Amino acid sequence: MRSDNKKTVIVGIFVLIGIIILVVGILTLGAQQKAFVKSYRVFAVFDDVAGLQTGNNVWFSGVKIGNVRKINFFGESQVEIEMNLESSTKDFIRKNSKATISSDGLIGNKIIVIYGGTGEAPPIEAGDRLEAVMPLDTDRMMETLQENNLNLVNITNDLKVLTGRLAGGEGIVGAMLTDSVLVQEFKSIMSNFNQTANNSNRMSRELARFSSQLNQSGTLVDDLLNDTTLFGNLKSTSEELDQTVKRAQEAAKNINKITENLQSTDNPAGMMLNDEQFADMLKSTLENLDEGSASFNETLEAMRYHWLFRRSFRKMERAKEKESED
Amino acid sequence: MANNTVAPKSGLRRRIENFFIGLASAYRFVERFFKEVWFPPYEFKELIRQCYQIGYNSLPLISLTGFIVGVVFTNQSRPSLAEFGATSWLPALISIAVVRAMGPLVTALIAAGKVGSSIGAEIGSMKVTEQIDAMEVSATNPFKFLVVSRVLASTFMIPVLVMYTDFVALMGAFLNVNQNELVSMSTFFVQVFDAISFLDISSSLLKSLVFGFTIGIVGCYKGYNSTKGTEGVGKAANSAVVMAMFLIFIEELLALQITNFFRQL
Repeated sequence: MRSDNKKTVIVGIFVLIGIIILVVGILTLGAQQKAFVKSYRVFAVFDDVAGLQTGNNVWFSGVKIGNVRKINFFGESQVEIEMNLESSTKDFIRKNSKATISSDGLIGNKIIVIYGGTGEAPPIEAGDRLEAVMPLDTDRMMETLQENNLNLVNITNDLKVLTGRLAGGEGIVGAMLTDSVLVQEFKSIMSNFNQTANNSNRMSRELARFSSQLNQSGTLVDDLLNDTTLFGNLKSTSEELDQTVKRAQEAAKNINKITENLQSTDNPAGMMLNDEQFADMLKSTLENLDEGSASFNETLEAMRYHWLFRRSFRKMERAKEKESED
Repeated sequence: MANNTVAPKSGLRRRIENFFIGLASAYRFVERFFKEVWFPPYEFKELIRQCYQIGYNSLPLISLTGFIVGVVFTNQSRPSLAEFGATSWLPALISIAVVRAMGPLVTALIAAGKVGSSIGAEIGSMKVTEQIDAMEVSATNPFKFLVVSRVLASTFMIPVLVMYTDFVALMGAFLNVNQNELVSMSTFFVQVFDAISFLDISSSLLKSLVFGFTIGIVGCYKGYNSTKGTEGVGKAANSAVVMAMFLIFIEELLALQITNFFRQL
């Protein structure tokens, strides 16, 4: 009888411990998965949930705050996610917060990440629908990466050809790498460049100094640039100059006309210049005149010593002498 | 199976007939159990004694097995996870493996070997020594006293043993993980419970109940229907273990399908 009681107690303890293990396990599981925490329900509609499953976690700022309760098709081909979130997070998640699908590791489970939201927006309420942001599509990423890879292959091929040519001494750079004379010349060019750059530098400094001097008030350039009176004077001068030029043009026209007249034979001056017969006649006339004037001169000289005129000539000489003495 | 009265026939036909006769006999046995279990007199003392035998006496063996399973499974899984630098997933992996499958399965298999055989042998020897007939003569219901108490004890003790096995296996895994990955106990158990769900625990418990019932009913059926003297007792014990193990695997497969169905809801 006593043995039976002992066995009963042992069985009781044995079963009790087993039940305790079970209860502790359930409570721990419930606490960890927030099963016994008061929660509220929010929604998000995605085009593609990328393998998200019921029970997957919902994170906010890196903290697990709930899980996915239901996944339903919505609209034409969209998916509505129903999430259970802890009531304590209500004050921190705003109505303008966004939801996206992420992963809790490189190859981990899918999760929903709630982020963003500004203080201006009111806190979230049960039944609200969060704005869904589509996650980066790995397939699209891989496609882009493949394109990059192809580009990289092309680049490396080009680089291979380029380096091959360089190593073979082709082109300017290749020749520079292999030809020592060219290198020396290049060095001298570079030193000339350097010198030129120094000179340019100096010149630019001088120009800067010169321009600063020009900018000083009272200088001609500064007056030209800034003195409005001088500008007005210059303007009027330029206008006058313009008129003068116009007049000069008219004068040139007149001269041109005169020249044309001189070239024709229908006027006395033109005839003098262009008619050879007239010229010969004029020449002979002038020669006759010269001869006549010479004989007239001789006649006058003879007259000086003639008794009739000798007296008046002497008077004239005395008057001249008197004038010179005064 | 053993009580068939059909004239011996040769070949495949005899085998097929024996199989269906055995199936009908097993069905009648289970049916009788469900009829007897609800009505008094209730053999509480015998039930407690069987609980002690099946549960408490199996605890050391099952605890040791569970511990070894936890350590070995962790050790064997580590290289595979280490290949892609995911040894931090060991607690989650072990948790899922132990709670969902290995805990109930290892416990049921060990219990089938230890308890199923002992029930088969015990009832078988009582059968061949006509003790069961003597009980009937003395106005005691042998089915209620021998079968119902053992099947109930087995049905209720296996889930409790599964709880122990799960705990001990996880502790073994923790010791191993703690030594190699320097993971603290709190982190380990956070990761363990993060990986499992209520469905895992409830399916594990329900599965254990079914396994326990299977071990008990198969052991009792084989013992209750044993013949041919001492040779029959050995045969009953042996076939009780083999049949129980075979059914446990079938049930495990069905349980997996049913659980997956509920998991997708």
